[in-house]
Amino acid sequence: MKDSSIVVSVENVTQRFRVIHERPDSVRELFARFFRNQISYSDFEAVSNVSFSVRAGEMIGIIGRNGSGKSTLLKAIAGIYKPTAGRVKLRGTIAPLIELGAGMHSELTGRENILLNGLLMGYSKQQMLRREQKIIEFADIGDFIDVPIKQYSSGMYMRLAFSVATEVDPDILVIDEILAVGDTAFQQKCFERLRQFRYSGKTILFVSHTMSQVAEHCDRALLLENGRLILDDLPEPVIDVYRSKSAAELSAATEKRADMVSVDSEP
Amino acid sequence: MLELVRDTYRYRELIWALALKELKIRYKRSVLGFLWALLNPMLLMVVLTLVFSTVMPIKIPQGHYAIFLLSVLLPYTFFSQSLTYAAESIVGNGNLIKKVAVPKLVFPMAALVSNLINFLLSLIPLALITVAIGHPFHWTWVYLPVPLLALTVFTLGATFFFAVANVYYRDVAHILQILLQILFYVSPIIYSLDQIPMKYHWIFKLNPLIYFLNGFRLSVYYGLLPAAPSILASFVCALLALIVGFWIFRRHQQEFVFYV
Repeated sequence: MKDSSIVVSVENVTQRFRVIHERPDSVRELFARFFRNQISYSDFEAVSNVSFSVRAGEMIGIIGRNGSGKSTLLKAIAGIYKPTAGRVKLRGTIAPLIELGAGMHSELTGRENILLNGLLMGYSKQQMLRREQKIIEFADIGDFIDVPIKQYSSGMYMRLAFSVATEVDPDILVIDEILAVGDTAFQQKCFERLRQFRYSGKTILFVSHTMSQVAEHCDRALLLENGRLILDDLPEPVIDVYRSKSAAELSAATEKRADMVSVDSEP
Repeated sequence: MLELVRDTYRYRELIWALALKELKIRYKRSVLGFLWALLNPMLLMVVLTLVFSTVMPIKIPQGHYAIFLLSVLLPYTFFSQSLTYAAESIVGNGNLIKKVAVPKLVFPMAALVSNLINFLLSLIPLALITVAIGHPFHWTWVYLPVPLLALTVFTLGATFFFAVANVYYRDVAHILQILLQILFYVSPIIYSLDQIPMKYHWIFKLNPLIYFLNGFRLSVYYGLLPAAPSILASFVCALLALIVGFWIFRRHQQEFVFYV
């Protein structure tokens, strides 16, 4: 694919973790295991052979159950994990909003964290100082900006994190369900900003469990199941498949429980 | 090695911010704040001078045991504190490493820089004490940046090594404390190499720290400059440590995220 408008290209990415069962945490355990020859581990593929590409200005929703590999995929895209196989190609700068308070230090004030967070994302001090006022305005947390963030509520955390990540003006924004903690008004404000983002040709990868948000804001949705990409289509059909799968599973579980109850209650 | 220089330069502001953060947190909520960086060596000096000049006298040339001791104790503290902080630097910043794509070398670097700042601050009380107790203030103080540079490079190499090792085995932080204690006694810090019989000197010369400490003590206490072979040895050790340490660090840094 030699399309110049493609900004994120994920090619056959596999992310495998070595799950060591009771990993030897200390030298003593290591020796003990070494001599008994029982270092046991298994490989776990959190993401298997996933490929897709995203164009400039697109907003992609990524959905799937807990443990389906959404966050791992985002982390591989953000460069936090090096993929076991395959590769990720990005064009432009990326700002990851992977988890609340990532890149923030609880003892520092909000203002100090703006700088630290920006530096961690690779921006210079000068760039951050220039944007500081705008970030503070958008976060709108009043005097709390000069309070150590360990005293913040999770909503305030999120306001600050979101406003730093979007104000630094990245080409690609990665959001991992952190919008869930904001109040309705701030969520509206966030989505308004995301919309502006897209109009100016930026790309957004958005993980959410709130289907209405995905349906309303995304151009496309990806459905992950057990680390595999099983559907890449418009949001509505993908959400339908996801819902029917969940519903099927739920009814299967309910039936099973009903069976058990009926067995128990037999005279 | 070029990568090390390039990344250090590129992320200098981040390293600086992290180092300041560390200092800020270290002295946070203490009434005296940064004054502790100055008070610590003074109090230590009082204790050690009492012990080693009255309780358990160690004979040294020219008197003024305090300066004799502090001239190498301060750089040794810089070395040992840097290692202690750096060993925890990757593990302690696990949350960051798991959530932000950030060059890992900034963490041990920041640990080193924060302790370097502390060391430089502690030179102020050293100078004050020198004047106060009437020890000559030698012109050779201007030579201090040279052994300091060598020691910093050496320490950086060692911090890289211990930062990596502690990611895989958390025992390393504890083993390090024991090693540092042993190193404190086998290095001529509370005593002088002159007090050791000549035939054992070769053993002491296997300890690389001796070459760095030598530079500090000669220039601050004796008002002399070290001989060329000693200076050369210090820089050879420093560069070797850095090359090996950074090589190991580079090889493993991509894996940190899976272990922290």
